[in-house]
Amino acid sequence: MTYLDNGATSMNKPQAVLDAVRCALENCANPGRGGHTAAMTAARTVLRCRERAAQLFGCKPEQVVFTANCTQGLNMAIRTLVKPGDKVAVSGFEHNAVVRPLYALGAKTVVAGRKLFDPVDTLERFEDALRRGAKAAVFTHVSNVFGYILPVEELAALCRQYRVPFVLDAAQSAGMLPVDMEKLGADFIAMPGHKGLLGPQGTGLLLCADRLEPLLFGGTGSDSKNPGMPDYLPERGEAGTLNVPGIAGLSAGITYVQRVGIHKIFEKQQRQARRCASALERLGFRVFSGREQGGTVSFVPDRDCEEAAELLAQRGVAVRAGLHCAPLAHESAGTLETGTVRVSFGHDAAPWQTGNLLLALETLPKR
Amino acid sequence: MKVCMITFRSVTPAQRAEGVLKKAGVRCSIHRTPKWMEEQGCGYSVRLHRRDVPAAVPLLEKEEIPFRKVYLLRETGKPEEMRL
Repeated sequence: MTYLDNGATSMNKPQAVLDAVRCALENCANPGRGGHTAAMTAARTVLRCRERAAQLFGCKPEQVVFTANCTQGLNMAIRTLVKPGDKVAVSGFEHNAVVRPLYALGAKTVVAGRKLFDPVDTLERFEDALRRGAKAAVFTHVSNVFGYILPVEELAALCRQYRVPFVLDAAQSAGMLPVDMEKLGADFIAMPGHKGLLGPQGTGLLLCADRLEPLLFGGTGSDSKNPGMPDYLPERGEAGTLNVPGIAGLSAGITYVQRVGIHKIFEKQQRQARRCASALERLGFRVFSGREQGGTVSFVPDRDCEEAAELLAQRGVAVRAGLHCAPLAHESAGTLETGTVRVSFGHDAAPWQTGNLLLALETLPKR
Repeated sequence: MKVCMITFRSVTPAQRAEGVLKKAGVRCSIHRTPKWMEEQGCGYSVRLHRRDVPAAVPLLEKEEIPFRKVYLLRETGKPEEMRL
């Protein structure tokens, strides 16, 4: 299979990730609960992952809260910062993991910046929204549909300038682009563990500056007499037993990413995405590409996008079609009705993958 | 050997303390805090030699690792809270 659906989750995980999961299943009990060897082995495994994540993302280990996925982290962050009726600035490229929690809270969403691959427009519209009294901001680092890399350092600076707390959605950038909590001055950064960080599904990280309102309430192995959740991190955000095998795999994934180097991984992805975009244009498709683009390319095929993806799957190429859980992004790009086919490269991006995609496209029945 | 215990609210700071202290050459080990010592219900502590406490405490403060209390475990078995 030629796997080009890394925007959804990574595959072809490093062997070390598989080994770490198995090792944890064989050796780890419940971390932070007991004092016996298996419990302490689990606790060490968890701490190691926190420390590695903290090193990669410029924060302290205590600020790393484990979640089940990026969506959970975004919900926790949004619930902490946003009250019903608050005005919240978001980019025009947000995933439903941002849009739906805001809608559920009854927040007034202000969509700031809808032009693809136009950081100037993104910044101007965002500043406008902040100036007009936004209480919080939530923005993605990289569009999951189009691969547009938003100018997050400048957006963060604007938020700091206007003293507006913000959440960065690093779903499509963690493990591929530099993400630094301290440099950005973010209140929260949410990310999955199973995409660019190459961990197993069911893992995610929420980096918290200080405050956090829990979504789940329950045992943490600490402060047990207190009927309320502990008021300190990371336990405040981690009720219930942690996904230790997943965290062990995530730890190995982070180590792999650090060893290879995120710049190297990103360059490989971007090179193939650019090559792919040029070739798709030559084939006559409507392709969305620009300078500020990562390893993801979307295009509108010459038939229904789901049909195109199905035909590609029959030819051994895995891509994703439709709205990619991001109708706002499609609305911004004018593809809400058609959807797109998304090609997203991973840590193993290689010319043969682009070649297989193009070959498969060329063999589709003519319209 | 005069043993001391530094108590922590959860396993995370206790483990971080263990790591920092071992890196600085302090022999120590991590344990569950005895039930009666932990006012909040459950916790973890790091055991170390009394002579290492004066060096250990500033290290933890420098690394911003919060701890609850420091106890000296007397040979009679009766611990005594150390005033720092």
